[in-house]
Amino acid sequence: MLTLSNVTKKFGELVAVNNLSFTVEDGQIFGIAGPNGAGKSTVYNLITGFYPYEGKITFDGRDISGLPPHRISQLGIARTFQVPHTFPSLSVAENVAVGNRFGDPGRYDPDYVREVISFVGLDAQLGHPTAQLNLLGKKKLMIAAALATRPRLLMLDEPMAGSNATEIRQLMDLIVAINRDRGITIIIIEHFMRVLTELTEKLLIIETGTEIAFGDPEVVTSDPRVCEIYLGEQSAESN
Amino acid sequence: MSFKRMATIMGGTFGLVAAAPLFVGDIRFIMHILIMCLIWAVVASCWDLIMGFAGIFSFGQVAFFAIGAYSSAIFSVNLGVPAVLAMLLAGLFTALIGVLVGLPCLKLAGPYVALVTFGVHMTLMPLLRGKIGMALGSGGSVGILTIPPIRIFGYSFSSANLVPTFYFALLLAMACTAVILVVIKSHWGTAFLALKDSEDFAMSLGVSAFKYKLMVFALTSFLTGVIGAFYGHYIGMISTRMLELDLFCTLMVMVVVGGIGMFPGTILGAFITVIANELLAPLGTYRAMVMGALVVILVLLLPNGVMGFWLKPAEAEAPAA
Repeated sequence: MLTLSNVTKKFGELVAVNNLSFTVEDGQIFGIAGPNGAGKSTVYNLITGFYPYEGKITFDGRDISGLPPHRISQLGIARTFQVPHTFPSLSVAENVAVGNRFGDPGRYDPDYVREVISFVGLDAQLGHPTAQLNLLGKKKLMIAAALATRPRLLMLDEPMAGSNATEIRQLMDLIVAINRDRGITIIIIEHFMRVLTELTEKLLIIETGTEIAFGDPEVVTSDPRVCEIYLGEQSAESN
Repeated sequence: MSFKRMATIMGGTFGLVAAAPLFVGDIRFIMHILIMCLIWAVVASCWDLIMGFAGIFSFGQVAFFAIGAYSSAIFSVNLGVPAVLAMLLAGLFTALIGVLVGLPCLKLAGPYVALVTFGVHMTLMPLLRGKIGMALGSGGSVGILTIPPIRIFGYSFSSANLVPTFYFALLLAMACTAVILVVIKSHWGTAFLALKDSEDFAMSLGVSAFKYKLMVFALTSFLTGVIGAFYGHYIGMISTRMLELDLFCTLMVMVVVGGIGMFPGTILGAFITVIANELLAPLGTYRAMVMGALVVILVLLLPNGVMGFWLKPAEAEAPAA
C-alpha cells in the first residue's frame, strides 16, 4: 500500500532521515519506534507532504513525492499529530466536518460526520467548543477528523503520550476497531513497547533517521541493538 | 455567531442608516459623514475578514483602497471608461495586485506578512508621486482632480446629489458586506478559520492553504478596490494623502472597536469611530490622544469590541466561531 524507497531528508547539515526504505501492507497495523529525535515524526511529515525530500514514496502504486499535504489527504492518507491539534474557533462537530468536507471533496455528508464522532465516543460533546475537551478528548477529536476524510491509511503520532492506563486501553481498543471494523491500514509511532507488541504486525525501529531493526514486534524488541538504544549498552549485554 | 444573528445585526444597522435621510437628508455635512461611514464599513470589514477570520496580518488594506481609487480614476479619466465599468475593472485590477502581494506571503509567518504588506503601502506613495505614477496618470503629488461621478441611465451620483448618492453607497456597502457574510458562513469561511487555528492540521485534513489564502487576498482586495473606486468617483478628486498614517490608524481603530474576528462588528465599529472622531473634533490637537485613550479603555473592558454585547459566554471564549 505505502512504500518508501531510499528516502532521505536533510535539514542543513543534519540528516534527519537517512536512506530509509520500508513497505506497509494493506490492512496492517505497522509500528514505528525509536528514541526522541530519531526522525519518526519527520518520516510522517515526509509521507504527508509537509517537507520536500530525496527518494520516492508511493501510495497504492502512485508516486506521491512532491504532492502538497492537502492532495495527499484527499488521496486517502490521514494523520494525527504528537501534540493535539484542534480548531478552537469551531465546535467539535465543525472540526470533524472540516475533514469530511475538504479531505473527501464532493462527498460531504453530515450523517457520516456524526457517525464518526459517535465511533470515537464524542457524541456528548458534539456542539461543544474544543476548549472544553480534555487531552483524551482532543486526541479522539483529531482521530475523528482524520477518519472523516475517509482515509485508507491512518498515521497516528504517539497517540498514547500523556495518557493514563485506562485511557491507553481505550485508545488501543479504538485503534483496533479502526483497523478491523473500518478496514483502515494504520501506522503508529509509539514509545510504549507494550502497545506496539500488542497492536502491531510489523515494527520498524529507527535511530537518527536510520533503520536499526525491522520485523515481528516480539523479535524486534528483543534485538540487542534495540535494547541498547532504549536501555543502554549494559542492559543489551545482559540480555 | 449564527448566520441569522449576523444578518439581523447587519439588517438592523443598515435599516436604521437607511432611514437617516428622512431626518437629516438636508444636512449635507451629516449625509457626507454617513456616506463615509458606509465606505469605511466595507474597508474595515474586508480587513476583519483577512485578519480576524483568516488570521493573515495584512496591513495592505489602505494600499488596496488607494489602488482601487487610482485605477478607477485613471480608467475613467484617461481611457474614458464609464465610471461603473471602471469601478468593476478597478476591483479586478486590485484583486490581481492582492494576489501578487499574497503570493510571497504564503510562506511567511504573521509579523513578516505584516511587514511585506505594509511595505506595499509604504511603496505606493512614492510610486504614485514619482515618474512611474505620472506616466500612468496618477497626477503626481497633486493627484487626480477631475474624476467623473458615477452615471447610471443619465443620472449622476455625486457629492452634488447627496441623498441618491447615499442610497447608492448604502446598496454598495450592503452588497459588499453581504458577500463577506456569505463567505464567512460558507465552507470558504470554515477553511479560513481552520487555517488560522492550525495550518498544519487543516492541510492534513485536505484544506489547501495556497488556494484559500490567495482567495482571501483576492476577495478582500477586490471589494476594497471597488469601494475605493466609489470613493474616488464620489469625492471627485484623490491624492496620495489617503496613504498617510492617520487613515490607516483610524481604520485599525474601527476594526478594534467592532471586534477583531467579530464581523459584522466592524460595520458598527466604522460608524462609532467616525462619529466619535467628529464629536471629538472640538478638542483639536488633543483629539487623537483622547481617541487613543478611549480605544485602550475599550480594549480592556471589551476585548471582543462592541460585539461583546451580543456574544454568549461560550462564543466570547471562542472568538470568530
